[in-house]
Amino acid sequence: MSLLGGGIFKGMAVTLRNFVGSYFYKDRLTTNDYSWRPSDKLPQRAGEYPKEEGEQLRDTTTVTNYSRNFPMLLHDGSEPMDTIRCVACQICERECPPQCIYIEKSTEKKENAGGKPQFFPATFDIDVSVCMSCQICVEVCPFDAIVMNSQFELSTPDRFGGLLLRRDDLLKSNGYYHKIHPEEATARDKRIAEEKAAKEAKKKAAAEAAKKMAEEKAKAEAEANEGTPDMEENTE
Amino acid sequence: MSSATAIAPNYELIQQDGLETSLLEVSMGPHHPSTHGVFRMDVKLDGETVVDLQPVFGYLHRNHEKLAENMSYLASMPFTDRLDYFNSMTNNWAYALAAEKLVEIEVPERAEYLRVIMAELTRLVNHVSLVGFFINDLGALGTPLLYAFREREKILDLFEQASGARMMCNYFRFGGLRNDVPEGWLDRARDVVDRFPDFLDEYEKLLCENEIILSRTQGVGNLSRELAISAGITGPMLRASGVNYDIRKVDKYSIYDRFLFRVPYSDGNVGDCYDRFMVRMLEMRESIGILKQALGGIGDGPVLGNAPKVFKPKPAEVYGRVEAPKGELGFYLIADGTPKPYRYRVRPPSLINLTVLRDMCLGQKVADAVIILGSIDIVLGEVDR
Amino acid sequence: MSLDLIRDILIATVPLLVIFPTLFAFTTWLERKALARIQNRVGPNKVGVPLTRYGGRFSLFGLGQPLADGIKMLFKENIVPRDADRLFHLLAPILALIPAMLVLCFLPLEFPWTESLLPVQAFLLDGAVIFFFAITGLNTLAIFMAGWASRNKYSLLGGMRAIAQMISYEIPLVLSAVVVVMMVGSLNAAEIANAQADWNWFVFTPWGLAAFVIFFIASLAEINRSPFDLPEAESEIIAGYFTEYSGFKFALFFLGEYIAMFAISGLAVTLFLGGGAGPGVAALPWLSTVWFIAKIFALIAVMIWLRGTLPRLRVDQLMGFAWKFLLPLSILNIIVAGFAWHAQQQASGILKAIIWVACLLILYATAKGLDQLNRPNVRPREYKYAE
Repeated sequence: MSLLGGGIFKGMAVTLRNFVGSYFYKDRLTTNDYSWRPSDKLPQRAGEYPKEEGEQLRDTTTVTNYSRNFPMLLHDGSEPMDTIRCVACQICERECPPQCIYIEKSTEKKENAGGKPQFFPATFDIDVSVCMSCQICVEVCPFDAIVMNSQFELSTPDRFGGLLLRRDDLLKSNGYYHKIHPEEATARDKRIAEEKAAKEAKKKAAAEAAKKMAEEKAKAEAEANEGTPDMEENTE
Repeated sequence: MSSATAIAPNYELIQQDGLETSLLEVSMGPHHPSTHGVFRMDVKLDGETVVDLQPVFGYLHRNHEKLAENMSYLASMPFTDRLDYFNSMTNNWAYALAAEKLVEIEVPERAEYLRVIMAELTRLVNHVSLVGFFINDLGALGTPLLYAFREREKILDLFEQASGARMMCNYFRFGGLRNDVPEGWLDRARDVVDRFPDFLDEYEKLLCENEIILSRTQGVGNLSRELAISAGITGPMLRASGVNYDIRKVDKYSIYDRFLFRVPYSDGNVGDCYDRFMVRMLEMRESIGILKQALGGIGDGPVLGNAPKVFKPKPAEVYGRVEAPKGELGFYLIADGTPKPYRYRVRPPSLINLTVLRDMCLGQKVADAVIILGSIDIVLGEVDR
Repeated sequence: MSLDLIRDILIATVPLLVIFPTLFAFTTWLERKALARIQNRVGPNKVGVPLTRYGGRFSLFGLGQPLADGIKMLFKENIVPRDADRLFHLLAPILALIPAMLVLCFLPLEFPWTESLLPVQAFLLDGAVIFFFAITGLNTLAIFMAGWASRNKYSLLGGMRAIAQMISYEIPLVLSAVVVVMMVGSLNAAEIANAQADWNWFVFTPWGLAAFVIFFIASLAEINRSPFDLPEAESEIIAGYFTEYSGFKFALFFLGEYIAMFAISGLAVTLFLGGGAGPGVAALPWLSTVWFIAKIFALIAVMIWLRGTLPRLRVDQLMGFAWKFLLPLSILNIIVAGFAWHAQQQASGILKAIIWVACLLILYATAKGLDQLNRPNVRPREYKYAE
């Protein structure tokens, strides 16, 4: 036979313990009070988080290694358009689930970071009011040209123009990428280097094989008829 | 201006014991504090008693299935997050399971372990906040809900650290997971899981013996075993009606056969709101058991198998299903050899569990209709799709 | 009308009109803060005095919040539904406030400056307790007026619930007060308070304790506090009778509700908790007012605590609880109190203790039995597990 109203008293004991505990245990009172930050420390314009030194690493709940907000385009050098990785292949535009990317391919080729003439995006717009930060574009990109930015202070008084990020807004350096996602960026760079090395090794092997073949051919035919190995790079 | 018609033109005059009286028609929703989204119940009330109830939904229809038929298999993955936005991980899993059947991709072992961990964490998130919402519907001033959200927050932090997003995780890929969990994540997860039972003890003490909750929920919204089976109810709601049916046990999909866990179910005498509430409370304990085993047994290795990003499966039909926290979540895909599915169909547990709402609510009080809806555990994103 | 009378009236009423609205503002802050802490939140902590926004140095735990809320309420748009009965829609919140303010006058508060005048409360009335209940009953009218005049179905439901609830709970409320009136032999609030001097509070007797518990539960229902907040059940009928109220009219309802809370707590303090009695009152008479208000706040703290813990009852269970549980129990309590009080008059110490324990047992067993009768099948259940 239980006490009359015993369940209610038990519940009240729990709430009382929480009431008292919220003053003593940080585990109970999980609410962070961040708004007392001095007003000159509050972000003044987009992209000013995190404000304080080391805040990003300490407060992993706010910005994590894998945090993704909206995509950005990577470039490797100081002059963005000279070293842009994107070759306007439009795979991301096709695969984007909410169809928020709009790309116009350039009409002529231009040398990019790899030192080869490539197409580049004449227009590359992302409508961030439509984008849902799903990272599919990053995953399908064969050139590692588009990655996720973790910048989330993008509010703007201009509903239409302000939320349409143009190519020049999207271009960010690889160094910036290393800063916001160090682990991911290092892994990506390592993979690119490996792929490049593998490709070069393959190319070298192919070239050597061709050379060998050519030498053999030359030997066999004893003529000055040299065979040109196929140097064309398979881009897609 | 006289008589009832001036107040509401849809009053229906009826004769009762020689008195002229009328039913009160109330449209509860879509802007109602406790319809869990944009759901509407057109209720006819005789005083406080519900004499008729018509569920109206579709306010959140986003054409999920037709959209998915017009994009590649991978591109629908982020949209599955938006079905039941409380449990994006299990939604991802069901879809990944279906697609993996379609193209026969092997999933690495570490990925399987992480999938189980994520799914069980999701179950904790869902059940704990459902109980909070349910007690909120009963009229508590948010206290259990905020306790639940305090714990949910810790799990969402884990999700964010692993996938980069708290709710729209979009973490599963065909053949594994998008990325491995960051360093130290497993330890943090162990910490959260180890501390969860303390919270559950406190939660049970707060709720499970409370006389008001007992008398409010017992005998309310009875769902018989027979009706539950014939209506296709699944998940905790079916188990609360006394049917021992859990897809984790039936299908043994993924690596669920490696874990020891029990499935709580009621004796099926009533199948009321109290049963539905308690089955979920008990299920959380079992989920913690699975999580402890999975976090203990996880090894190193890759998390993504050798799967193409964009593929053209051979013409085939597949059905992949998981035990989502709300019930059986299934994805039915027909491939026709193109990169896009020919037919893409979701079996949403929320919608199918909702079909018995009217049967459960008739004859109950209007306050009960609210808690019955709460005990079904719907998310409108999944009901309307 | 002499000048003295006007002065007396002003001296007696103006403090009430100043102190209690101020306490109301403080109580809203207290309630928000306490509920927040119960729910592991921080609660209002930004608005300081005067409405500090930056710096944090003047925030004073957010004590400026009620002021900010008040200003906000004043400036909000006053929305009246098109089909509403505008006159009654306007009158209802005023009518809800007036009786609540009026009954404050019957509380046996002793203000230091009234010492030279009539000693105790604002209205020295022999039938104060009766008058109190009579006037509190008017509140029901205001709430139904609000529910009806709004022409909103939720409001109507809330109004109907309010009438049923308030009329039902008035009966156990009055019957539990009858015990105290029997003991004292007077309906005069001051005499009741004085009869409890020297720690002879009625709450320390078994019948007094039972009556206090019944009174407290019934008063929760009477002022629509959780777990009996059915007329304004948020999860069921939006906001009940004040669904269609906004701006200052809503604030008036809010004020009325809190003033009623003070009034009914004040009556509970008078009847059961010794009125202004407390340590140091003999030396410093003005301490009695402090004690009185402190006791009111103790009761309000319990109300806040209950609100943070409990869900609400269903409408039929609410009525059942009043008619099938509280009413029989309070009638039994009157009988027990009558017999026991006469028996203990001649009894010695040990016999008195036996009588008291017996009273407690009888009352508890009856309560338990009534509970079992009312909900025979409600108990925690066992669940099966499948491996």
